[in-house]
Amino acid sequence: MSLPIDQRSLQLARRYLQVANGLLIPLYLLVAAALYGAFIYAPTEREMGDVQRIFYFHMGTAWNSFLTFFAVFVAGIAYLITRKSKWDKLGAACAEVGMVFTTIVMVTGSIWAKPIWNTWWAWGDPRLMSVMVLWLMYAAYFILRSSLPEGDKKYKFSAVFGIIAFLDVPIVWMSIRWWRTIHPVVITSSGAELAAEMLHALMVSLIAMTVLCVTLVALRTAQRLNSSLADEVFQQLDQERVSRQ
Amino acid sequence: MNQVALIWILAEKDLKVEYRSPQAFLNTVFFALLILVIFNFAFDPGSQATREATPGILWVALLFPGIIQLNRSFQAEREEGTLYGLILSPTDRGVLFLGKFIANWAFLVVVDFLVLGAFVIFYNFSFSVQMLWVAWIIILASVGFAAVGTVFAAMLSSIRTREVLLPILLFPIIIPIILAAVNGTQEILILEEAQFLDRWLQLLIAFDVIFVAAGFLLFDYVVAD
Repeated sequence: MSLPIDQRSLQLARRYLQVANGLLIPLYLLVAAALYGAFIYAPTEREMGDVQRIFYFHMGTAWNSFLTFFAVFVAGIAYLITRKSKWDKLGAACAEVGMVFTTIVMVTGSIWAKPIWNTWWAWGDPRLMSVMVLWLMYAAYFILRSSLPEGDKKYKFSAVFGIIAFLDVPIVWMSIRWWRTIHPVVITSSGAELAAEMLHALMVSLIAMTVLCVTLVALRTAQRLNSSLADEVFQQLDQERVSRQ
Repeated sequence: MNQVALIWILAEKDLKVEYRSPQAFLNTVFFALLILVIFNFAFDPGSQATREATPGILWVALLFPGIIQLNRSFQAEREEGTLYGLILSPTDRGVLFLGKFIANWAFLVVVDFLVLGAFVIFYNFSFSVQMLWVAWIIILASVGFAAVGTVFAAMLSSIRTREVLLPILLFPIIIPIILAAVNGTQEILILEEAQFLDRWLQLLIAFDVIFVAAGFLLFDYVVAD
């Protein structure tokens, strides 16, 4: 008995896995370089001390949490136009990885903020608040997903929410910035001048985190594609069993 | 048929239903009044700090009860099968959205004006020109709130847990509205001179334009089945 499996979907999953596989060795090298850059190569910051080194990973993950959000938006539009479930799988994978990265941004930011700003959580900082809102939107996206059964409806609604949430991000950013320029600014960010070595370490970390992000997205998309294929096979076997009885 | 007339017919239908059985209206107003009263217990009513927090209190009382109405706005349509009729009718889905959105918006504005009146009395403000500015903020903020809310309410109307899901989806998105409305109101009521009021109004208008357009374009995908 042969089971008719969607060969194109299987191929696609395989291709995503190939991408993830191909990136694995560059990823190890880049992460090693980023660790070296952040902890050994870059000089210790004069005022903040060693805790500043967290900044390299903080920036790297922050940039990616916005990138994945954009990817969710693009995948959402692609799904609404083509109605192919592969786009939903990609969007969901991006949102997952994005949410993990956003969480890392907030955690690393808090660890940095405690000694520097003397508080874990600064309600006054516009960037921090924007990331918080981003995290809330990701969370809402998954709550919506988890309350719908698999199928076109779920993919459509997730896509619509992803698009609306992405359109909202620049407005959130602007509103929080204005809000903070109007109120007394309690916390000012330190100067953005970086030593050359610091800039190099930052660049390596940015690239390493981006490659990590792409690898994880590729892996999760492949997993999602495969798991829906597996579900199909189970369903077919079930039907087969019922029809034989 | 003329599209504008069509939108009006759709909105009028909803408003007529609300007018004839004003239970949802009364529930929403009552909930808002409760919030105003509860905040009076939660904070020291006489202090200066509470005075400065009043714009925030007003907006919690205006936005949270709005959820009741939005949740209801597609429930009856689903239960009675009106929604299928609307979907099957040869109208553009964007027109359907505008009709629903305008009905929700008008409903919210009427509720909000009543709540604003109660707010003025409970928190000892006066009915002056300033309140007209607050009313203007209410009108603008309700547009964005109703636009995003209508899309989400339509989307969630087929899901069992919609009552819980709607605020979870809606509030992160409308954070700019909350910020702009609270700060705009603060400029009017608390600060001596309104410096940045224009800015907040512009932000509200930008939000309104973007999300009415987004709702118009995306509504097709949330009601199709």
